[in-house]
Amino acid sequence: MDLSRRRFLQAAVLTAAAAGATAACGGGSGSSGSKDSKNLSLWYWGGGLSDKVVADAKKHFSDITLKTSLVGGDFKTKLLTGLRAAQSAPDITGIKGEDIASFLPNANRFVDLKSVGADKLMPQYLSWKLKQATTQDGKLIGFPIDIGPCATYYREDLFAQAGLPTDPAKVSAELSTWDDYFKAGVELHKAVPKTYLVNNIGSVFSMIIGQGTKRFIDENNTFIGDQDHIRTAWTTAVKPYTLGIDAKINDNTWNAAISGGALGTEIGAAWHALDISSAAPGTKGKWRVANLPGGPSNLGGSFLSIPATSGNPEEAFKIISWILSPENQARGFTDAALFPTAPAAYKLPALTGGDAFFGGQKTIEIFGPAAEKIPSAYEAPADAAVSVPFFNELTSIEAKGKDPEQAWKDAVSQAKQIAQRQGVK
Amino acid sequence: MSSSPVAGPAATGPSSGSGTAPAGRPAPDRPRGGPGRHGRRVRPVSAGARPGPRRVARHWPQYLAISPYYLIFTVFMLFPVIFTVYLAFQKWDGIGDMHFVGFQQFRFLWDDPIFWLSVRNTLVIWVLSTVPMLFLALVLAVLVNSTKRFTAFYRVALFIPSITSLVAIAIFFGAIFSNNFGLINAILRSMHLSAVPWLSNEWTIKLVIAALMTWQWTGYNAIIYLAGLQAIPSELYEAAKMDGAGPVRLFFSITIPLLRPIILFTVVVSTVTGLQSFTEPQVLFGSEASTNPNSGGPGQAALTTLLYFYHQAFDNNDFGYGAAIVWAFFLVILLIVLINWRLVQRKERRP
Repeated sequence: MDLSRRRFLQAAVLTAAAAGATAACGGGSGSSGSKDSKNLSLWYWGGGLSDKVVADAKKHFSDITLKTSLVGGDFKTKLLTGLRAAQSAPDITGIKGEDIASFLPNANRFVDLKSVGADKLMPQYLSWKLKQATTQDGKLIGFPIDIGPCATYYREDLFAQAGLPTDPAKVSAELSTWDDYFKAGVELHKAVPKTYLVNNIGSVFSMIIGQGTKRFIDENNTFIGDQDHIRTAWTTAVKPYTLGIDAKINDNTWNAAISGGALGTEIGAAWHALDISSAAPGTKGKWRVANLPGGPSNLGGSFLSIPATSGNPEEAFKIISWILSPENQARGFTDAALFPTAPAAYKLPALTGGDAFFGGQKTIEIFGPAAEKIPSAYEAPADAAVSVPFFNELTSIEAKGKDPEQAWKDAVSQAKQIAQRQGVK
Repeated sequence: MSSSPVAGPAATGPSSGSGTAPAGRPAPDRPRGGPGRHGRRVRPVSAGARPGPRRVARHWPQYLAISPYYLIFTVFMLFPVIFTVYLAFQKWDGIGDMHFVGFQQFRFLWDDPIFWLSVRNTLVIWVLSTVPMLFLALVLAVLVNSTKRFTAFYRVALFIPSITSLVAIAIFFGAIFSNNFGLINAILRSMHLSAVPWLSNEWTIKLVIAALMTWQWTGYNAIIYLAGLQAIPSELYEAAKMDGAGPVRLFFSITIPLLRPIILFTVVVSTVTGLQSFTEPQVLFGSEASTNPNSGGPGQAALTTLLYFYHQAFDNNDFGYGAAIVWAFFLVILLIVLINWRLVQRKERRP
């Protein structure tokens, strides 16, 4: 308690001086050593690739030692740190779909995959997905592992109770617009009062954004999040809330809701099927899949990239293209629910079989055509950051009963501020 | 008039230690290193004038022995802290080139309503947790201090929450307070009361986080208070009792004044840790919404400043802005600690 001001200041100055010395020493440590071309390292996260396919890749490329690391935690942050020095950077790395846009401004940190043979393979893969990893000057920095084509998952038994169509083809046809879908939701909620149509309105909003060809920022780096296409998506997303068919689930109770029958439908990507079946194993056979109202949309899907410091980019791309060949993608679908990015895989038996969880329905008949028709939209590096206030404000409507008009204004003004901070015009 | 029985002992010294045995210890404000085993050998004048490298060289084993901590501290704590000062004036996405932007990040900060919302959230959560926490800790410490049996058990029981994994506690609290399927709402329903949407309402969200922090740190503070209580000489209590003071009077006129340095310590420590709440809201509301896992829950009611910093730096790759947030917040913490310090010290000088 009797620490005098002078002594405190002395100590502070001393520590600051020591820190300065350390900082000066730290400057010279970024040495770039030459990398081994026979020992390649691969970083991915748990479930990011099929472990079986990766194990086979090690055997298949016998003249190369492929060292794989399952990186846990915040993958993007660890990759950012790793990329700063050649020694710590991997030779091949996964990049999550939501992060790929933020890496595009630093495309010089990655090998242009077109220069190591990707240009010949590109026609076999979905062009809209390749575009997500392509810079504006045409460099390809990532090769697509998987995609998340979206659909409507619905409870056939509850639809029957409410007198709604139950056959997937019929549901797809009759619930083809968002308004049709919401109308069915009102009937469903009336017939089965504990059942709601959507888990929250943020999920509806993200689906509608994915159905468009424009997002929050355009190719000229201008903020367009206050324009009609976003406004329409917002107005549509708020409808289930005003109609009282929104379950407003924004906490950790989704699992209980889905197994307890509180949710009559789920709109989500192909990989979402795994979430449903593991949260609600008791509802096996009661679910079906139909087209998403308003057209196909995508949610998620990752990439494999080669950092510019890679010891052997040609060989690294051979490994990537082997892991992501249509045949191996089909195995990845069975093994890790990774929906293939090469349409040739959709005809392989691993995907064409019926799914017992969906009463034996052949879900590829819904997801396959959807995957090929997903609209291509420009996603700016700051797109994810700028979109956050819209989702937060939609949650505010649900949680606090905030006036949707006020919420829209707040979302737009916050998004503009973030855009300004991120250097968007 | 009412303060006469205890005014004497309380005035003898600010710390209970020097009050009990003033003769047996060196005066606390004499410079360190003077008296002691080496005191005789060191020439007094030159020792004060130039500590010099020779002294460092002579004591190299000692310096070596304490060096690992300082080296690790410098590399992993001090250097990053200094580096963030530099970063706060840059625009940097973590991998590309840095651009010097002057005070622009701070200007953004000033105009950012979400930053101010996060500061408000943090302060509310801090008050809601620290006040009951320190009060309960004091009561618990007095209770445990008066027990004769199972004292070791009580101490261990008090300490266990503070060494329990925070993530595990947060998941557990999330399950207890869950809106539709939580234990508390199940109990409320069974008593025919209406359920409370704990994790959606902006106030109950803060209450849940404050309850979590209170639960975790009350015992830790109680142990510190207990140590302080045992340093208070029992003669003071006996003398006060002879003068006719009851237990409440003893508590407020002897225990509280003599514990003041300890209370100051716990207030400062809980201010610093309480304002840095991050894991609690991150785990409680992190699992939802793939678009923004660090939004701080419904209505952003649980968005603490450190969570907002994390979101800006590591989700949005805006490291310069993140650095500006933590430095602005550092000033807020410093201000609050200084206010606390002044408040508690001034009271001490009053008699």
